[in-house]
Amino acid sequence: MSGNSDREPLPPRVDLATAAVLLAIGLGVMALAWRMPSFVEQSGTGLTAPGIVPGFHATVLAVLSVLLGLRAIRRGALKAGAPQSRAWSGEDARQLGTAALLGVLYAGVLVGRVPFWMATSLFVFAFTAAFEWPAGPVGRVRRLVEAAVLALATGGLVTLVFERIFLVRLP
Amino acid sequence: MNNPITMLGDGFAHVLQGGAIFHALWAVLIDIIVGALPGLTATMGVALLTTLTFTMGPQVAMLVLVCVYVGAIYGGSRSAILLNIPGTPASAASTLDGFPLAKQGLAGRAMGISTLGSWCGTLFGTLILAMFAPSFGEFALQFGSYEMFWVALFGIVIAGSLSGGDPLKGYIAGFLGLLVATIGQETNHAYPRFAFGNPDLAGGLGLLPVLVGVFGVSEVLNAMRGPAVRAVSSKIDSVIPRIRDVTQYWRTILRSGALGTFIGAMPGLGEDIAAWTSYAAAKRASKEKELYGKGSVEGLMAAETGESACVPGAIIPVLTLAVPGSAPAAVLMAAMMIHGLNPGPMLAITAPEFIYQIVAMLVIADMVKLVYGLILVKPLLWVLLIPRSRLMPIVFTLCTVGAFAITSRLFDIWVMLGAGLVGFILRELRFPMAPLVLGIVLGDLLDKNLLRGLVLTGGDISPFFTRPISMALCVLTLLAVAWAIPGFVPRVMGVFRRRPA
Repeated sequence: MSGNSDREPLPPRVDLATAAVLLAIGLGVMALAWRMPSFVEQSGTGLTAPGIVPGFHATVLAVLSVLLGLRAIRRGALKAGAPQSRAWSGEDARQLGTAALLGVLYAGVLVGRVPFWMATSLFVFAFTAAFEWPAGPVGRVRRLVEAAVLALATGGLVTLVFERIFLVRLP
Repeated sequence: MNNPITMLGDGFAHVLQGGAIFHALWAVLIDIIVGALPGLTATMGVALLTTLTFTMGPQVAMLVLVCVYVGAIYGGSRSAILLNIPGTPASAASTLDGFPLAKQGLAGRAMGISTLGSWCGTLFGTLILAMFAPSFGEFALQFGSYEMFWVALFGIVIAGSLSGGDPLKGYIAGFLGLLVATIGQETNHAYPRFAFGNPDLAGGLGLLPVLVGVFGVSEVLNAMRGPAVRAVSSKIDSVIPRIRDVTQYWRTILRSGALGTFIGAMPGLGEDIAAWTSYAAAKRASKEKELYGKGSVEGLMAAETGESACVPGAIIPVLTLAVPGSAPAAVLMAAMMIHGLNPGPMLAITAPEFIYQIVAMLVIADMVKLVYGLILVKPLLWVLLIPRSRLMPIVFTLCTVGAFAITSRLFDIWVMLGAGLVGFILRELRFPMAPLVLGIVLGDLLDKNLLRGLVLTGGDISPFFTRPISMALCVLTLLAVAWAIPGFVPRVMGVFRRRPA
C-alpha cells in the first residue's frame, strides 16, 4: 500500500504549498467545529458536543501541516534557487484532462439523464476513440469500429449482468 | 460444541452449501485478472465486486469477497513477472526476481514458484488465523470504549508510520480520512456536521463511494498517463512447480509466512510491506545472496509467500477488533458491515462460528487459486495485452455502478468523482493511501468510543491512560510516533549503549 513512495521526492516548495492548503483546511474545520451547538442542556456536560471530535482531528491536522511547512522551509523551500516542481508533460496533461473530462461527462452528466446502457456505450466509445485516435490514420477505421463494438457490448453486458443477473439497480 | 475442530468442520460444511464452489471459481478468476492488470488493485477489486454481492446472502457474499481478495493479491505477480510492472503494489517485490527469471526464458517456472509460494503463504496465514483469532477475539472482549479509541488511533498512527514513504504525510492522510468520516449526522444528537443545509451531505459520505473513488477513479486517471506497457515474453515454459523448490526453501516459506501474517495483523500495513519485509529477511538469511535481484527462486518465493500470508493476517484484526490490517481488508470490513455482519470483539459472542467460516472460505479460495495458477497461464498472458484505452473505460463504468448501487443516490456518484480527484491529487503529492482509507473506515469507531468514554467518566480522561490495556495501547501508539521521528531511535539506543571508558 505504499503507493507512490518509490517515486522521487517532491520539491520542498510543493510541500510548503500543500502545508498552507492543509493548514487552511484545519483552521477552517476548527472554526466550523467551534460554531457547532454544544447541547449542554440535553447532555448536562457538553461532552457529547458534535464539534469535539472534528475539532480534535482538525487541530491535529493543523499542527501536522505546520510541521510539514516547517520541514519544507528547513529543506530550502524559501531559498531563491529551490527546485521547482516538474510540470506534467504536454502529453500527460492531455491524457489526464481527456480521461477526467470524459469521466465527469459520463458519471456527472449522462448517467441518470439517458438510459444507462446508452450512456455507458457513448462513454466507452468516446474514451477508446479519443485515446486511440493519435495512433495515426493507418487502421483508424478498424479501431473505431472495434471501439463501437466494445462500447455496445459493454453497455449491454453491464446492464444485463448487474440488472438481470445480480439484481443491482442501475442509475 | 465449542471444539475448534468441530467448529472448523461446521464452518466448511456451512460454507460449502449453495453453490460455493461455483462462486469461488468465478470470483477468484475475475480477481486474478483484476490483480494481473496493472492499474487495477486488490482494493479496487474488492470494492467493485462488493456491488455484485448486494443481493447475495452474507455467507455467499463473504465467500465471494474473500476469494476476490485472495485472487487479486496473487494475480498481481503475473504482470510483475511478465511485464516487470506489479499488477498490484503488493507484487512490487516479485518484480525483482520474477522478471529476471522471465528474461532468462523461465517465465513459466517463475509463475510456478509464485503460485506455490502464494498458496503456501495463504495456507500458513489461514492456519495462524484459525489458531489465534478465536482466543484473541475473546481477549478483545475486555476492550471497552477507552481501549477501542486507542486501537483506532493506533491503527492510524502505525499505518502512517510504516505504510511506506513519509510518516508525516501518512499521519496527515490518516487525519484527513478521520475528518472525512465525521461528515454527516453524528449519533448522539443527530446533528448534521458539515452538511451546510444539504440533505445528502447530512446523510454522510458513503464508505463504498469514497473507497471506489480513491482506489478506482484515481487509478484510472493514473493509468491513463504515460506510455503504455508491453509484455516481454509470449513463450512460456512449464509452470508445474517443483517439489524441490518447497523442500529446499522450507525455512524461507515458514519465515515469510510468519512475517507476512504478523505484518498483515498490524493495522493498515498491508501486502506490499509484507512482501518487502519477507524478501529482505530471506535475503539476509540466504546462502545465495548474490542471486537476489538476478532471478533468485528463493527471493521470489519469499516475496510471494509473504504477500499472500498477509491476506489472512489482515483479516485477523478485522474479525477481532474491527480494525483492518490492510486497504483491501478495510473494504472487506466495510462489506461485512453492509451485509449486517458486525466484525469486532462482539463477534466472539454473537457469531463465534463466523471466524471458522472465514477460515473455510480462505482455504477454498487458496485451493481454487492453486488450480487457476496451474491452468490459466496462457489466457492470462492474453488478458495482459488488452490496451488500457479499452480496459479503463470499462473499469470506470464499474466504478460508477459500484458507487451508485448501494443507496441508489446520484449524489454518491459525485462523491466518487470528488474522492477520485482528491485521491489522485494526494497520490501526486506523495501521500500514502493506506492511512487515508484507515482513517475513513476507523473514523466512526474512534468518534463513538471517544465520546462514549467521556460520557461514561463524566469528562474525566484519566481512564484513557490508566486502565491497563488502555495504557499499553497508549504507550504503543506513542512508540509508533517516536519510531517515525528521524534520529529518535539511534538517540535512544545511544543512551543504552555502554560508553567507552
